[in-house]
Amino acid sequence: MKIIACYSNKGGVGKTATSVNLAYASAMAGRSTLLCDLDPQGASGFYFRVKPSKKLRNKAFFKDVQGFLDAIRASDFDNLDLLPANLTYRDFDIFLSRMKNSRSRLKKALMELDSDYDVIILDCPPNISLLSENVFKTADKIVVPVIPTTLSVRTFEQLNDFFKENEYQRKKLLPFFSMVQKSKKLHKDTMLTLRKNYKSLLKNYIPFSSEIEKMGVYRAPVMTFAGKNSAADAYSKIWHEIEAQVKIGK
Amino acid sequence: MDPFVFIFPEAASHKNFLKKLPHIREYTISLARGEKLPAVLLDTFDFELLESAKMLFQLEEKLLCFDVRAGRMVEQLAPKKWSFAADLPEGPVTSQLTGGSNLRAFLPVAEIEICLLHGLLLDDEEKTRARLSTLSMQRGQKAVGVGSTVYLRGYGQAHTDLCRWLEKLGAIACPDVGQVFSLLDIKRELYTAKPIVQIHPDAPARESAVMIINAFMQTARRNENGVAADYDTEFLHDYRVSLRKVRSVLSLFKGVFEVSATACLKEDFASLMQKTNTLRDLDVYLLNKEQYFSLVPAETHEGLHILFMHLAGERKKEHKSVSKFIRSKVYLEDIGRLEKLFADGLALAAGPKGQEKSLIFASGLILKRYAKVCKIARSIDEKTPDEVVHQLRINCKKLRYLMEFFAPLFPKDDLKALVKALKSLQDNLGNFNDYSVQQIFLRQILREKMSGFRGSELKVAESVGALTAMLNRLQNNERGQVMENFILFDSPETRTIFTKLFHTEASVHENNSLLQ
Repeated sequence: MKIIACYSNKGGVGKTATSVNLAYASAMAGRSTLLCDLDPQGASGFYFRVKPSKKLRNKAFFKDVQGFLDAIRASDFDNLDLLPANLTYRDFDIFLSRMKNSRSRLKKALMELDSDYDVIILDCPPNISLLSENVFKTADKIVVPVIPTTLSVRTFEQLNDFFKENEYQRKKLLPFFSMVQKSKKLHKDTMLTLRKNYKSLLKNYIPFSSEIEKMGVYRAPVMTFAGKNSAADAYSKIWHEIEAQVKIGK
Repeated sequence: MDPFVFIFPEAASHKNFLKKLPHIREYTISLARGEKLPAVLLDTFDFELLESAKMLFQLEEKLLCFDVRAGRMVEQLAPKKWSFAADLPEGPVTSQLTGGSNLRAFLPVAEIEICLLHGLLLDDEEKTRARLSTLSMQRGQKAVGVGSTVYLRGYGQAHTDLCRWLEKLGAIACPDVGQVFSLLDIKRELYTAKPIVQIHPDAPARESAVMIINAFMQTARRNENGVAADYDTEFLHDYRVSLRKVRSVLSLFKGVFEVSATACLKEDFASLMQKTNTLRDLDVYLLNKEQYFSLVPAETHEGLHILFMHLAGERKKEHKSVSKFIRSKVYLEDIGRLEKLFADGLALAAGPKGQEKSLIFASGLILKRYAKVCKIARSIDEKTPDEVVHQLRINCKKLRYLMEFFAPLFPKDDLKALVKALKSLQDNLGNFNDYSVQQIFLRQILREKMSGFRGSELKVAESVGALTAMLNRLQNNERGQVMENFILFDSPETRTIFTKLFHTEASVHENNSLLQ
């Protein structure tokens, strides 16, 4: 089982769209996949029309691992399940405080699924919180969408420094360009500069696309309704790049 | 949560179901109904699919497989004409079919009109909460619907609601395919290559012998069409094994029939079987083709390829002649006469042991054969000539046949343990023999058939040489394992079961010295 976290310390970079579409690409590649919606602002669940159940809103819910497993919902697509946490900040804090020795507890809870999933994709909240740090330790790869603008690049560099300071494995970080507008000179220049500094940057990038925005209307991964669209295609290419870097198996 | 695999035993309720389904409370149902399509239901001659509760349909250029036990319906593209699972491209249907022997051809069973329907149970946000598929089948005036539900993780309630609803409409659990066959009025003659004849312990040995022979005659005859039509190689295999078993009864059940009549019958059956010897040899060769290529170095593959082309050509000719024979008037009269002889058992004069009780007779035969196997096996060491190993193989086979013929007379579990113990030794000896026969066959090609490879003699000779060397090595390997396998077979437990099961006053007295 491989854990791929989708993380960005800056909002609005297409993180949830990435989680949703990569999870779908993984499932379509025949991998049994679980997408965990850990971001209270994220909308992974929304994109799959999955409602958080009444049980899920119950604070005592994440007390035990079985509860965690019971919360899983099948998506409408083969090989793809969801953990629609979608908790409020408050619930999320409770969730964290319950898992006191959270590093090992979270890892344990995830390992519990070992027999079930080939790939777990985590849609993480944007701030560096206790959970995020857990994720940095647990995940096999951390996919980071970066918009090729000065501000967005700066936040990626901050994340990189954070990893360095805390002695996390920087090789886990897999940045890629998101919402790219090739017509903008700034985008092109930034991409060129950043590629020189970060060899781990994925070759493929996600172009800015109105189709991705339409995911909110269709409430489905972009590949399902815009198969030949370049953004849809880019997600599966990015997924294949990730697959090539992690050995996926049970 | 398991899928609900259901059947609508009445065609009418199935039609109703289509009309009523969209009214389940709290949900909407989205139905995608396919068109009515002509299909052919396929299965192997021994109904491998029916036995494993699967239905396979050939459509225009597609295959549809419904696994009743798993509740799974899968489809894939497929050529219009194919025979074996290995002929199909990889896909979900192919993987459903490869669990069987892989040697049997898939043959048409019945023409059926089918209609596939997929349904989704949706909530108010149009999220799918459960799925269902149904397959309606119509054959003439007969109709039936089967289907299954799919539980989606986390949506147990929706699945339960759907199942309840289906039940209300008349759906009942469908455990296997047999019911579908009978509702569609599809006749099926179940086939087994190993019929078990229910003989009575006190029945006269002659009567039991006739019953056993009769059963194997029937089995042989059921394979004739398949042999002639050449659907797959198993028809000939089963045909020959059945006739061999008939011959074994005749030769092993000494004294049951009158001596001269027995001798005549043995000759009759031997000559029948002889007609198919070459064809079976060629079949075995061609079936082993891949293995042979893997045994020899790549440089010799070209020669081997030429050899196999030749063998395939020979097989074609040989099959033509066998097919002609098996359809000939002479053969049909011959086999008909023999069949009649055993169908009416009284026509055969009894020998001195004909009236002996079957249980006593069987025990004596088995214990005697067991003693003989042990005697030969214990005499074998590294220097023993191969001929003795062949004798051991033949005697093991006879012992196995005897235990199978008389199986209903003895406790099932004990017999199973014995057969299992014997099996490794038999497999070992069987391989030893196969490798030996194959080398003889190859040598015969070198000696007699080289003129057929004009221009490629060297290449063919080289590959035949390489293959013979490898087969010889494999044969020696097997030879080296015989003693070890016999020691495993000759365990105290096995001895105890043999004596316990087949111990009778008469048999022990006769075989006592051999068992020590």
